[in-house]
Amino acid sequence: MIWFIVRRLIGLVLTLWVVFTVSFLLMRAVPGGPYSGERNLPPEIEENVKHRYRLDRPIYEQYGFELGNILSGDFGQSMRLYDFDVNQVIAQGLPISAALGIFALSFAVTLGLSAGIVSALYRGSLADWALMSLATIGIALPSFVIAGLSIMLFVFLIPVFPAAGWGTFRQLVLPAVCLGSLYAAEIARIARTGMLDAMSQDYVRTARAKGLSKLAVALRHALPGAMMPVVSFLGPAVAGILTGSVVIERIFAIPGLGWHFVQAALQRDYTLAMGLVLLYTLLLYTMNFLVDLSYGILDPRVELK
Amino acid sequence: MLGRTWILFAMFAGGLAAVGWAVYGSRLPPADFTFINETEVASVDPALITGQPEGRIVHAIFEGLVRPRADNNRAEPGVAEKWEISDDGRTYIFHLRPDARWSNGDPVTAHDFLYSIRRLIDPQTASRYAYQAWYIVNAKRYSLGGSALTPGDPVEVELNPLDGLPNTVRGKLLLGKLVRIDSRTSSQEKSESSRDRVYVVERDGKERHFQIAEESDNVAQGVERCRQVLLDFREVGVRAIDNRTLEIRLDEPTPYFLDLLAFYPFSPVHRGCLEKHGKPAWTRPENIVTNGAFRLVARRIRDRVRLQRSENYWDRANVRLNVVDALSVDNRSTALNLYMTGMVDWVTVPPAEVLRELLKSEPPRNDLNPAPQLTTYYYLLNTTRPPLDDKRVRLALGLALDREEITRVATGAGEKPALSLVPPSMPNYEQQKCQPFNPEAARKLLAEAGYPDGRGFPKIEILYNTDQQHQAIAELVRKQWQRELGITASLRNEEWGSFQDSQQQLKFLVARRAWVGDYLDPNTYLDMFVTDGENNCTGFGNAAYDTLIADAAKEPDVEKRMKILESAERLLMDEMPIIPVYFYVSRNMVRPKVRGFYNNLQDTHPLNAIWIDPNVDDKAPRPNEYMEPVQ
Repeated sequence: MIWFIVRRLIGLVLTLWVVFTVSFLLMRAVPGGPYSGERNLPPEIEENVKHRYRLDRPIYEQYGFELGNILSGDFGQSMRLYDFDVNQVIAQGLPISAALGIFALSFAVTLGLSAGIVSALYRGSLADWALMSLATIGIALPSFVIAGLSIMLFVFLIPVFPAAGWGTFRQLVLPAVCLGSLYAAEIARIARTGMLDAMSQDYVRTARAKGLSKLAVALRHALPGAMMPVVSFLGPAVAGILTGSVVIERIFAIPGLGWHFVQAALQRDYTLAMGLVLLYTLLLYTMNFLVDLSYGILDPRVELK
Repeated sequence: MLGRTWILFAMFAGGLAAVGWAVYGSRLPPADFTFINETEVASVDPALITGQPEGRIVHAIFEGLVRPRADNNRAEPGVAEKWEISDDGRTYIFHLRPDARWSNGDPVTAHDFLYSIRRLIDPQTASRYAYQAWYIVNAKRYSLGGSALTPGDPVEVELNPLDGLPNTVRGKLLLGKLVRIDSRTSSQEKSESSRDRVYVVERDGKERHFQIAEESDNVAQGVERCRQVLLDFREVGVRAIDNRTLEIRLDEPTPYFLDLLAFYPFSPVHRGCLEKHGKPAWTRPENIVTNGAFRLVARRIRDRVRLQRSENYWDRANVRLNVVDALSVDNRSTALNLYMTGMVDWVTVPPAEVLRELLKSEPPRNDLNPAPQLTTYYYLLNTTRPPLDDKRVRLALGLALDREEITRVATGAGEKPALSLVPPSMPNYEQQKCQPFNPEAARKLLAEAGYPDGRGFPKIEILYNTDQQHQAIAELVRKQWQRELGITASLRNEEWGSFQDSQQQLKFLVARRAWVGDYLDPNTYLDMFVTDGENNCTGFGNAAYDTLIADAAKEPDVEKRMKILESAERLLMDEMPIIPVYFYVSRNMVRPKVRGFYNNLQDTHPLNAIWIDPNVDDKAPRPNEYMEPVQ
């Protein structure tokens, strides 16, 4: 177990380094730069800007310098949001994206699991058919369509929720539901498959043979096994949802991290883009690690080495 | 089993608590006036910004010597209560009002302006708007640093700042006289950098050698490191005569200089605040010291900037809004949704496709009144590449453009077709128009250039930055050129950053561009196209044109000056390195209860003039100032 953790930690450091290197090179390979703008600078002043960001140095020096900064936990100043450090941008945006994400995920897991279990237990019934059709629609519809429809319905037609913004619980509901619905649909399908698989296992049949009720067997014995594929799906999903959804945050004007991902890349904000990419890598890696750990808890046969 | 369940419950409760904290922890009480400020502001530092959203905030929290009037944006007294202009139009003496105060209670003095103008043109600041100050004597030379120096100039050598001090504190200054500049690089190396020069400076009768280098860099024996070598700032035409009197001397009589001073780059900043906190910490709400009608009280990235009426502002009696929220909402549909549900009072740009419908609504809306704006949309033609290096081809492309169709089909907010670069309603100026749509003449010119009916004409490409509207226009232009001239064009879109680069490096044949006038004078459009101008972007260069622009700058007589500028535009339209397409209109939506909001050419709406009439609701038929008809 200890070795498993140590190995994973080494893997994390290596992954971060590779991601850093690739992103660093990609950013400098695209045309434009943090100094390009609509009002152009005279060459001498542009040189000053480049010097400030060390873009006039050879690429290996830039690389070494930036790596050093990041190792000391300082991502530097944002190159386009001049008044903020990258750390501040993340510190302001991450809690908001995460709060929205947690809320959306709770909704998605609750809805998705219930739907999946019901579908599996009543396979072939009308309920199964209806739920799975809904799930398919949920997966197929892009989130901006769901968001647009729900705004039309619940903001303009039946005005129960505010159109956008952040700061009250009511403002959280629509974006969370729109964001969560896609995940709910995925979870429902995965949970159904997992549940059907688990229900056909020998240990489940044994439990049934001992005379336990169908529901008790399903929840006590089959569910943990059926959760494995759901958990595998949730790991990366959590990393993605915590760092914010570009579309949902934009439509509902939520000041999370999502839109920064796009803006930082478009505006050549090298430092902010790097901070966000590394943050995402770290979260993704951590979530996958937690998923692996949870296998050991959910399935006694799994041994972590 | 119970243990695991508890973990789940604890996680769930923790998650809920975190959600609650993140949601409610960031709540602010509602504001009196809320508007959509489009994108997240890049900065509130007056020297660093160029955009309109930034301008709205900076104009609210800082005030220059003069400030833009709410109705027509012309300069009116700000920190300066009065001023004198010399008869030759070259010297301005500003008298600062005694009750102008910073938000921390300090008086606003002439030295604050001296400090701020120096900072604006300091090459280290790298302000994109430094060139706005170039009308001031020697300001251009100061702002271009070492490359503008010649032997004999009095110079200031700024040594590298000491470690541990805030990054806004300048290094120690050594004044001296420049003897010569030695170049360290051999001539084979590609471009000479300012870091490869050695400045020989005479000081107290001794020659000293300086090179721009950091303390950790290697330099040759006998050479001292410094941060920069600039013209001695005392040579620049700004002088604080006393605490309340500021003198500004210009190279040429510049009739629009006063209006230009009302523009945000000339806002003063508080030296003590900058030098105490450093950059960028001085811009934080808890640190910043401002002198405008409002104070910056809170900033949440990509959410809002919150402003509050300043108790120290000299004209506070006439500021009627108490709390103002500027929302950073860059999705236009979201912005409109917020407006339609009553959460904001002013939307700057509703989505184009909705705007078209809104304009048709019956009865006409009481909150929408598009008016001409000081912005021209035009196509750049790369005059350095065939076939566009042939003037006849450029003219033919212009003649084959049906602008009426473009503004009818592709834009739709009542934009006006443009036959000139300079927009209408420039005072005393008559626009010099190019030929309107004339396919017959276009075909004839193209045939003369060797491409009868478009035969043998190479395929040309139209470049635009990724945007639905630019695409719609480009597609229409392609269709028109195909239809009228028989030539084929393809479309290419690039995202903003690459697009900027392509324009700079002339990596295009035809590209879209728009220019927002910086001040109310044709010069803001016309001086772009001087040979090698930074914003020329066409490769166009014409000695006669350069002379005209330079002559206009020297001409003190208003009418004569406008005549010269008119002939410059005439020349530009005859040579056609650009094809004007249309003039923008403003597209604000403003609630009827909002007063003190006027349509104007620069689409600048100072918050200090705005107030809310509590007795008016959205259905009010009584128009506010905004709905007054525009000529």
